[in-house]
Amino acid sequence: MARIGLTLGPCLFNWSAERLLAFYRGIAENSVYDRVHVGEVVCGKRMPFSDPVWPEVIETLQSAGKEVVISTLAMPSTVRERKALAELVSGDVMAEINDITALASLEGRPFTVGPLINVYNEASAAFFAGRGAKSICLPVELPLSSVAVIAKACEGLEAEVFAFGRLPLALSSRCYHARLHGLHKDSCQFICDRDPDGLAVDTVDGQKFLAINGIQTLSDGVQLFLPTAGEASAHGIKRLRISPHTLDMVTVGATYRRLLDGEMSPTEAKESLLALGLPGAPVNGYLSGGVGASQLELA
Amino acid sequence: MVDQPNGELPKVLQILARPAGLLPLGIVLTQAVRRMARRRPTLFERLDEHRHASFLVEPSDLDFAFVLVPDGEQASVRSYSKRALPSADVHVKGPILMLLGLLDGTFDGDALFFNRVLSVSGKTDALVALRNTIEDAELKPSDLLGVTGRGAAFLDSAVLRALASARRVVGAPNMGAMP
Amino acid sequence: MSLELVCPAGTPSALRAAVDAGAHSVYCGFRDETNARNFPGLNFSPAELKEGVRYAHQRGAKVLVAVNTFAKAGAMEPWKKAVANVEAAGADAIIVADIAVLDHAARHHPDLRLHLSVQAAAATPEAIAFYADTFGVRRVVLPRVLSVEEIKKLNSAVASTGVETEVFVFGGLCPMAEGRCALSSYATGKSPNLVGVCSPPDFVEYCDEGADGTATRLGGFTIDRFAPGAPAGYPTLCKGSFVAGGKTSHLFEDPVSLNAASLLPRLREAGVTALKIEGRQRGKGYIAEVVRTFRKAVDALEAGRPQVEAEAMLAGLVEGGRQTSGAYQKTWR
Repeated sequence: MARIGLTLGPCLFNWSAERLLAFYRGIAENSVYDRVHVGEVVCGKRMPFSDPVWPEVIETLQSAGKEVVISTLAMPSTVRERKALAELVSGDVMAEINDITALASLEGRPFTVGPLINVYNEASAAFFAGRGAKSICLPVELPLSSVAVIAKACEGLEAEVFAFGRLPLALSSRCYHARLHGLHKDSCQFICDRDPDGLAVDTVDGQKFLAINGIQTLSDGVQLFLPTAGEASAHGIKRLRISPHTLDMVTVGATYRRLLDGEMSPTEAKESLLALGLPGAPVNGYLSGGVGASQLELA
Repeated sequence: MVDQPNGELPKVLQILARPAGLLPLGIVLTQAVRRMARRRPTLFERLDEHRHASFLVEPSDLDFAFVLVPDGEQASVRSYSKRALPSADVHVKGPILMLLGLLDGTFDGDALFFNRVLSVSGKTDALVALRNTIEDAELKPSDLLGVTGRGAAFLDSAVLRALASARRVVGAPNMGAMP
Repeated sequence: MSLELVCPAGTPSALRAAVDAGAHSVYCGFRDETNARNFPGLNFSPAELKEGVRYAHQRGAKVLVAVNTFAKAGAMEPWKKAVANVEAAGADAIIVADIAVLDHAARHHPDLRLHLSVQAAAATPEAIAFYADTFGVRRVVLPRVLSVEEIKKLNSAVASTGVETEVFVFGGLCPMAEGRCALSSYATGKSPNLVGVCSPPDFVEYCDEGADGTATRLGGFTIDRFAPGAPAGYPTLCKGSFVAGGKTSHLFEDPVSLNAASLLPRLREAGVTALKIEGRQRGKGYIAEVVRTFRKAVDALEAGRPQVEAEAMLAGLVEGGRQTSGAYQKTWR
């Protein structure tokens, strides 16, 4: 049985350059992730601040033996954003595409497909594989039964499942942080940096529900998919994606590694993760084809 | 008239609209629906599994309500006094003119919820299915009453005209209010 | 070429109403999970589609059929069948979002004209060129996230591909990028991308809570709350009231509908081919009225008559309803 890989997904939030540098230095030095995504996915306006840190981050991670992938914008729109996207996907470091726009510049280079691209079936997965996709992190709402069908049909492709973190649920051209604070998107004052795990959105009856992160809407609940290596393999899963939050991501990675290596039971892993102080309640309903916000015992 | 809210019937019209007896109305309507199912069997396909659902329709300005099970040739309509309303899968309540507006195509499925005049509880999907089925049926008053030929054309235009003017009288909108 | 008015039909009778009211084209879908307006009681059987196409063609109108959800893994048959049924009915184009369905249609039904659904959210020249080059897509329905200036730039950038663009001008408004929103499935487990229904009615509850008024819930989550006695609106998730940062607001979008009527001249100038009216779930009375009015406005525009006239005609449509020109004006963001 091949070892299940652990991917640290891209940071979805507006973290300062200093925070990003320190975070990835810690990941390089201490974590067990074998693949680490860098780069800005959510908002092109954040790029001028984070862009300068990536060369150093990539070098640090690569020196530590990590495979590095550059994640790219989910909704590129301005000329500047599209140009930056084209440059990123045609560089030396493998890119993750999060919008069809990126396909134009790949020209046969290997790439990975992010969860914000709609791959719901084996035929579209095969389509991307045929154009050079090495792995696909499937859409968060896809049940494990569909993951298994896709993985089986596309043997050469690594099927990756979003296993930890607030679920990326929606994108808009409207910035909800700006709207909430009465600002225009064009003069947003980068106010989303106040909420490094996203800002909770509750129902008017006080139920925990969603979270906003600039133009992105996430779940309030934190996805916790805790399979044993056997369960993951049974569904053809080759990698688990761990999505960065402000809590101790080195320990999160170590916990998943021990779970997958059989040194920890799913129950122990869950307890260990809950002790780290998650930003929301654990959820996993999507994996069994149910309500995304629900938490079920997975067989 | 100015004080009449939400298109409710004025008292005089309420008295006029009171049925002579509760039972006969149910029988007449049951026969009408079944007759229609015989004439246009494909009409009820749209309802799918919702043809077995029960719909409690309660005109807020009349003192009776009825329950419809739109199961094609096995369809039934029963009327009830407001004092003893039965339970049903769907409960829709509103002024009679608004409820009739759903029948003759004046209001649509969105307006049903968005115009904030009808209140709905229970199986909303069944009501949406029924509404869309009625929408495609292009129902006319003569279909319900089983009148055909020239009499039907006369009846339809007369009833629809009367409804439209009744809505004007009570200040109800004559087209689906926008969300 | 006149601007093409593309109008919704949820039922055969709505199709006839739209054609009779002057629609250049009508769009509709099958009564199953293959189309993105899969509401109970709505849509067409293959036989009804065939009859609808006949009715429209006799009167010089086109029929575009939406097969615009994403095929289920391991169960693509319904989508393949739907594509074949569109061709068999003699429809003028098929509207598709899923790469798997596009690929299948391009390979096995090469004569079928392909339109890219708004559910594919193709918003850049690169994405549009990809769909045109790879599958031979002839028209793209643009996401409701672009401003008029951006549409204009986009049209000049894709001019060499010959791809036409279609934009929404009236009706419901998604604040999220279409086809990229999992809010509804997070609350209900039903993915709009897979089953074709957002905020599905079978998960809706209207809860009368006495002095607290009426709560409208979707999958148990309160989407909005209305004062006692006040009838409650439908709980469309992104149009609800929520609490964030201590403030209660319609955080994602106000309960408004899109009306870009005043922008018709600018949209034409921006190189748009077709104008789309949303509302396959709307009744035939509404559709006839909206289509008739928009047709007059388009004709007035084509005849070079003053726009004031067209705007005055359209003003009647939105009386009393709250409306927005949405993302077409940059300030919406």
